[in-house]
Amino acid sequence: MTQLKLTGISKTFPGVRALDRVDLTILPGEIHALCGENGAGKSTLMNILVGNLQPDEGTIILNNAPVIFSKPQQAIEFRIAIVYQQLSLIDSLNVAENIFANQQPVNVWGLIGFNELYKKATSLLRQLDLDEINPRTLVSKLSPAQKQMVEIAKALSKKPSILILDEPTASLTEKETKTLFNILQNLKGQGTSIIYISHRLEEIFLLADRISILKDGKHQGTFLKQDITKDELIKRMVGREIKALKVEGHSRDEILLSVKNITGKRFHNVTFELRRGEILGLSGLVGAGRTEIARAVFGVDSIDSGEIILRGKTLKIKHSSDAISHGMAYVPEERKRLGLFSEMSIQDNIIAGKLSNAVSGRFYSSTKARTLAENSKTKLNIAAPGVHQRVVNLSGGNQQKVVLAKWLLTNPEVLIVDEPTHGIDVGAKFEIYEILNLLAEQGKGIIMISSDLPELLGICDRIVVIKMGEVKGELSRRDATEEKIMAMVSN
Amino acid sequence: MENVRSKVVLFCMAILLLGCELPSRNSSESVNQKSIKTKDLEIGDEEYVMVTTAVTMPMYMNRDQRAFKRWGEKMGVKISILGPADWDVPAQINVIEEVIGTRPTGLLINGTDPAIAQVINKAVAAGIPTVVYDSNIPNANHHAFLGTDWYEIGRMQGEEMVKLINGKGKIGYMGILGMSNMEAGFRGLLDVLNDYPEIEVVGKFDSKASVEQAARITSDLISAHPDIAGICGFDGPSGPGISLAVKEAGKAGKIKITTVDGEPEHLQLVVDGTIQLLAAQKRELFTWYGAQFLYDMVHRTNRLSQNDAKAGITSVPYHVNTGLLRITKENVNQFIE
Amino acid sequence: MFQKIVEERIYSLLVLLLFVCIVASLVFPATFPTFENFSQILLNLSIDTIVAVGMMLLLISGAFDLSVGSVVAFAGCLTAFLLQTFGLPLPVAIGVGLLGSLFIGLVNGYLIAYKDINPMIQTLAMMGIVRGLALMLSGSGVQNLPYWFNAIGQSKLLGIQMPIWYMLFTVLVFTVLLNKTVLFRQYYYIGGNEKAADLSGIRVKKMKMIGFIISATLAGVAGILLSSRLGAALPTMGRGLELRVITAVILGGASLSGGYGKIPGALLGALFMGIVANIMVIARVSGYWQEIILGVILITTLGIDKALQKKYTGSN
Repeated sequence: MTQLKLTGISKTFPGVRALDRVDLTILPGEIHALCGENGAGKSTLMNILVGNLQPDEGTIILNNAPVIFSKPQQAIEFRIAIVYQQLSLIDSLNVAENIFANQQPVNVWGLIGFNELYKKATSLLRQLDLDEINPRTLVSKLSPAQKQMVEIAKALSKKPSILILDEPTASLTEKETKTLFNILQNLKGQGTSIIYISHRLEEIFLLADRISILKDGKHQGTFLKQDITKDELIKRMVGREIKALKVEGHSRDEILLSVKNITGKRFHNVTFELRRGEILGLSGLVGAGRTEIARAVFGVDSIDSGEIILRGKTLKIKHSSDAISHGMAYVPEERKRLGLFSEMSIQDNIIAGKLSNAVSGRFYSSTKARTLAENSKTKLNIAAPGVHQRVVNLSGGNQQKVVLAKWLLTNPEVLIVDEPTHGIDVGAKFEIYEILNLLAEQGKGIIMISSDLPELLGICDRIVVIKMGEVKGELSRRDATEEKIMAMVSN
Repeated sequence: MENVRSKVVLFCMAILLLGCELPSRNSSESVNQKSIKTKDLEIGDEEYVMVTTAVTMPMYMNRDQRAFKRWGEKMGVKISILGPADWDVPAQINVIEEVIGTRPTGLLINGTDPAIAQVINKAVAAGIPTVVYDSNIPNANHHAFLGTDWYEIGRMQGEEMVKLINGKGKIGYMGILGMSNMEAGFRGLLDVLNDYPEIEVVGKFDSKASVEQAARITSDLISAHPDIAGICGFDGPSGPGISLAVKEAGKAGKIKITTVDGEPEHLQLVVDGTIQLLAAQKRELFTWYGAQFLYDMVHRTNRLSQNDAKAGITSVPYHVNTGLLRITKENVNQFIE
Repeated sequence: MFQKIVEERIYSLLVLLLFVCIVASLVFPATFPTFENFSQILLNLSIDTIVAVGMMLLLISGAFDLSVGSVVAFAGCLTAFLLQTFGLPLPVAIGVGLLGSLFIGLVNGYLIAYKDINPMIQTLAMMGIVRGLALMLSGSGVQNLPYWFNAIGQSKLLGIQMPIWYMLFTVLVFTVLLNKTVLFRQYYYIGGNEKAADLSGIRVKKMKMIGFIISATLAGVAGILLSSRLGAALPTMGRGLELRVITAVILGGASLSGGYGKIPGALLGALFMGIVANIMVIARVSGYWQEIILGVILITTLGIDKALQKKYTGSN
């Protein structure tokens, strides 16, 4: 049983006061949700808790004794474990070696006891209801969701008394999320304290005992779950009320894009149509083939058969540049890995989709690029001091807006967005919905892939449900409900 | 508009052409050679600079550079040793060019490659007494040269090898391919061997100035030609390399080895009978007398005319062949320090 | 102002260069700050810089080429061989020499971009192959090259040796290309995030191949120029050049992981190394020490640079 108490924790980075005298108490055996927009200071606070960062002032009191974590190993000694949002697994090693990284069981000779290692890994995985994962499988072979579960197993292998989870369900399926929640409830029953960071308010209200809110590095209060409503929580997180998204459909009759019987590596015989002004949702479990379909339409992956018809013309797309010249755009999932040039400036990112936009006379003009970028910045409300700022320093929501801005400059007819609000705070989410809605109003066609069902139901005119690489069905805005979609994907 | 622009362009090009200066036609003929500074210098002001390449090579350090340093101490003048750490002729040329700008009293240059002719001429034209050692440089007008005839090194090895294997059998040889002195050595060797029809030359190999490479080549040679009679090496590291592989094959003394250089490790291999002949250079003499020549030119030790510079002559020997050291089991003990 | 100097390696290196030059001028007033010495320094680094421009381009795109040193030797030897053995006309021989280098770049680029072979392994293998070809072509080197061939590298224009002009021309052209053309700006994106670049419509594979072709061709230009300057083609030319050039380019602001760097940085990096080497010659620092000192300077410069950046920009 461990009680953790933080008092007056402050931390300043050059130019930013990331944490401002934060007090937080974690009781033994509670699930404590930590909410806040991106950039509110949650990650900084957690990094201080596990010894990655040292606070400028304030004390950490563990079981009534002040402690100083000057390096990550010390937090481990006090049995504080964290599951990072960004995965810390090593692809080239197998599951068991990852779970017991740096704490492999050794035999009398001081050599790694592999039998013991696999035995321990197997029992840990079983405990997590992950029988289907073989501890000898290489991590690179796992799906993102499985990787996330292995990450959790890795944290649990340290038998923590305080477990911190940072957005653990972002890449999990419904079923896995349920399993995870059961595990967390079990751990709680055994007296483990859990700090749970998430943007998904539904989950927080389902799981947490108490909820703490951070905004701009300041503690906004801690509440028992039953003492606060969702709206109130949002209000405290963003400091203003967000009006519920009300989208009227802009769908017109003209068919913009028609995908006919396309078959590729992980999808078969997929057919759907996209109308002008329509937002079409692609729903399905992670790994159902939605992203693969989007990539094939955009020309990144090849198709074995079938055709893609844009405005009545059959397209021959060999490379994304062909798709772009035909007026398509693709906002990929995994923003950091696939969407952004992190070390480059906002301006360079925004102009990347069509560098020739910045040509004046015969040459590329960075002045022109800056003007274009500044216009986009204003139009999409990207919060940054200037367009020369590197995007790595922006919050997730602003980064995503930069990616969107990049594609809007190519003036696409068809915009494919893949998990556009993944890991983005509530305020920015709504802004992105508004941008998509505005584009639809202008007559563009939008294909939206999302694992967030309420989001799809909220803004899509139609939802196509994909399962195991095939179209399972189609629901109009009127007919679509969470239950119907869940029924389609899980049968 | 267009017309004006093209006129401007033409005008600029004409200006540029006027500013163009071609190199002199005949490189070995220096146009306006400055006369050598021979005024009576204060002893302390004199500086003699040696520019070589691969300055860290043990043989260069133990023989050339040590003798040069000894000479500097004896004469009480300042000496400097410059050049790239690895074998890099263009870099050696760059260093010489930069040294010329600093006006040393005399330049002692390791004749690594014919390509350094130009920069030697530049030094001479700048009035710096310049002596080349080791390999002579054609088309260069340095004041003196001291060295060994590499062709002779090849011949000496060839003649000894013929004796050792009684004029018949298979022979392989190696050195650093692409170096002109080595190639001269190879020619000398082949000129001797070609007179013996019963000798079969099985190959020419690149030892890349590496003991490991020489050993690898040798062991491959032995497995390809188990009856190989002799191996000749033309670079320093090939001696120890060949010996290592021959010993490992258990054929020390059976496969005859002739090679170059008289470093301690080479000598030891002669003592234990693995190497039968070393054709070594008198490298100490290159730099000692080379430096002395420079000194004598500057100090006009031997005046051969009223004014040697005006007469267009130099007062030191033009070409010195220091000869070879023939090291075999009989005399090897004399070379061990 | 200060922040800008710290952030951009080009400016910080320029400040450092000025400082070094001032100190050297005070210590060696008679020999260092002279026109001859500086034109000598520039002449000596002109070959390296031409190769460094190509290397900078590659490093911006996140790749590097270890075979450039061998290509320098190959191009020089091939051209000299054609001139001497077949008596080909000068432009033809030079053309074939350049085409040969281009072909090596094409092979490197094709295998790396389209066949996913690791650039380090591919160019390391190519380094050996090409050096071998150079040896085969020239044996112990080709001397006595035709007068007009030598004139290419030994003439002067406005009192300054031609290789310096060629170097400045190359740097200028590629500076404009990388800053001002859409095609070449794509290299920054490829180096920044190859996958994102591909999804943004940049033909990453084609561009990568072109990068290797450019780098090898520039190495070919440098090789022909070097033989012309020496009046001879040596198979040992360009030994160790690849590492020297990579060092210069890193000093000039490139990063091994790609995305960073400006073409003038290649010149400044080479200039810095050239000036340091020159000072050591003037100061008569023996050859044993030169490499050690250069290594220490490299680590110190990059270390201070990193520390300053961390302190003043808060980024790492």
